[in-house]
Amino acid sequence: MKLAAVVADGLADVSAHGGRTFLQTLGVILGVASVVASLGLMAGGRQQTMKYYQESGGTLKVIVFPKPLEAVHASARERASRGLTLADVQQIRARIAGFDLVEPELNRNLLCRTPRLTKVRQVTGTGASYAELNELILERGRGLADEDIARASAVCVLGADRAREFFGSDDPIGKSIALGRGSYRVVGVLAYREFYWNEASSYNALGWMNRLILVPVTAMLAREAGSGSERVDEIVLRLATPQAHAEAVPALKRLLLTRHGGEDFQVYDRQERLQRMDQEGRVYDITFLACGVIALLVGGIVVANIMLASFRERMREVGVRKALGAKGWQIGVQFLVESVIVSGFGGVVGLVLGVGFVHGVAYLLGQPAVLTAAMVVAAASCATTVGVIFGLVPAVKAARLDPVVALRYE
Amino acid sequence: MGEPLIRIEGVWKTYDTGAVAVDALRGVDLAIEAGDYVAIMGPSGSGKSTLMHIMGCLDTPSRGHYWLGGEDVGSLSSGRLATLRNRFIGFVFQNFNLLPRASVLRNVELPLLYGGVDRQERRRRALEILEMVGLADRARHVPAELSGGQRQRAAIARALVMEPRMLLADEPTGNLDQTSGAEVMDVFDALNAVGQTVIVVTHDAGVAAHARRIVRIVDGRIESDSAKAA
Repeated sequence: MKLAAVVADGLADVSAHGGRTFLQTLGVILGVASVVASLGLMAGGRQQTMKYYQESGGTLKVIVFPKPLEAVHASARERASRGLTLADVQQIRARIAGFDLVEPELNRNLLCRTPRLTKVRQVTGTGASYAELNELILERGRGLADEDIARASAVCVLGADRAREFFGSDDPIGKSIALGRGSYRVVGVLAYREFYWNEASSYNALGWMNRLILVPVTAMLAREAGSGSERVDEIVLRLATPQAHAEAVPALKRLLLTRHGGEDFQVYDRQERLQRMDQEGRVYDITFLACGVIALLVGGIVVANIMLASFRERMREVGVRKALGAKGWQIGVQFLVESVIVSGFGGVVGLVLGVGFVHGVAYLLGQPAVLTAAMVVAAASCATTVGVIFGLVPAVKAARLDPVVALRYE
Repeated sequence: MGEPLIRIEGVWKTYDTGAVAVDALRGVDLAIEAGDYVAIMGPSGSGKSTLMHIMGCLDTPSRGHYWLGGEDVGSLSSGRLATLRNRFIGFVFQNFNLLPRASVLRNVELPLLYGGVDRQERRRRALEILEMVGLADRARHVPAELSGGQRQRAAIARALVMEPRMLLADEPTGNLDQTSGAEVMDVFDALNAVGQTVIVVTHDAGVAAHARRIVRIVDGRIESDSAKAA
């Protein structure tokens, strides 16, 4: 017969029952809005963390720290251990293929002096690939080179803040700076870097890069640590590939364990941390999503409840319509029109509300909002599912209703 | 005379209520000619409502046959029954059964909608029939804004709008005062006078007196039929 006419009649019915329609729509709106809001806020937080890792050396970075042994439990051999050394670095380079970059790091607070300023500053002794490892960006001059390390040359590279501090607006390249017991020639200056977790925060998470003073680890050991010392503070490594992680990290631990005779070190592993974060993130995802789904379910129950509350009125109506010649499918379409309108309209309004909420919160916290098409599709399909499930059941029931039963219903 | 409009032969209707099967109709034979004016009377529980549901194609017999305009109703699908109700039968209920949220006009247009009549034609025919029952000025009102008599006249307009072969009224004056009830019966009388088949189910002798023929039902059987007595 005429589907369009039946649909039009259903539309007239929806507008005639304004209050009922409004309440049903409200249920769907709140459900969809909460799904979108929770998905969007989660993704925003996750994206910031990933971005920080990318800008500060990527997720492939692995760091080995010395760990103080508890003297009571330490064996003689453990006590004899000299901690992390340049020899460790060489052994790792030679034996473990999974890391493409391995550098020592030795930090000392030294008296630094130029004609302009004398101050105690942290100076870092390291190797040539340290810059690459930490995604440092060179602005002028050159970085530390392999020959500098081999010859223990007295050269240094300055972070942006340090260059300004010690040399003002002068070009530091080629000038010398006294660091502790030695005098070093500045060969490079790093670019200024910044990263804020959110707009409200004044903490520059990449600020440490601007405060670097890099010198060859060999030069620093020779001048500051006394003859023959090879001891370093930490070893920084980079995995050649993410897949190398599974083999390289345990191999690293085994190697150090054999060389040191005990676990006097600790491995900080971004991949592992990221994986854990990912798992935690997934738990949050599921929790948030569950909240959203529950909200949507509550919305659906509101819809179903209102449908049920009006069932008495509707039973009679279905009976009357059938007596007047309505076929089952025509009654079904009428009910479906209602639920499609409720869920469709509710879905769209809920989507707008949810997106608005995410952007509102993002604006207040200064954290970027992330809304992907997948989220929108997920929320929209949730709304449709709710609409179809909570609309189809009454529709099918109504369509099948025996007119005699429906007419008698009081 | 040819095939009567309604021919009912040996109709039984059994309701299976689980524990016991109740026979609402127990072998009813009835024939009604087109243009007749029949009152079906009986106490409550006699089976007169069941008989009306079967005659109105809302229900089908458990046993026996019902021919409406020569078609055996018992063998039809629910969709075909809906079409029969739409084309052949105009229902008038005791409690009017108008859709409360829809205007009188929309109520009257409903059968036309299900009959596949297009929009403009629906409007034209609905207004025409409302004019006939004297409710043209109430077309845009909802039922709650009408008096009981006006509501029943609106319901009659809705029943007539498809020009059905018969008007089937179930206690049409049951919810009306004396005056309104009389008005409604006047409408039925006038319709029958121009050839409309009218079947009224009632227990009110005053209402039944308007009919030319009175069929009495007791315990699911026809106890008396004035047509046969005559």
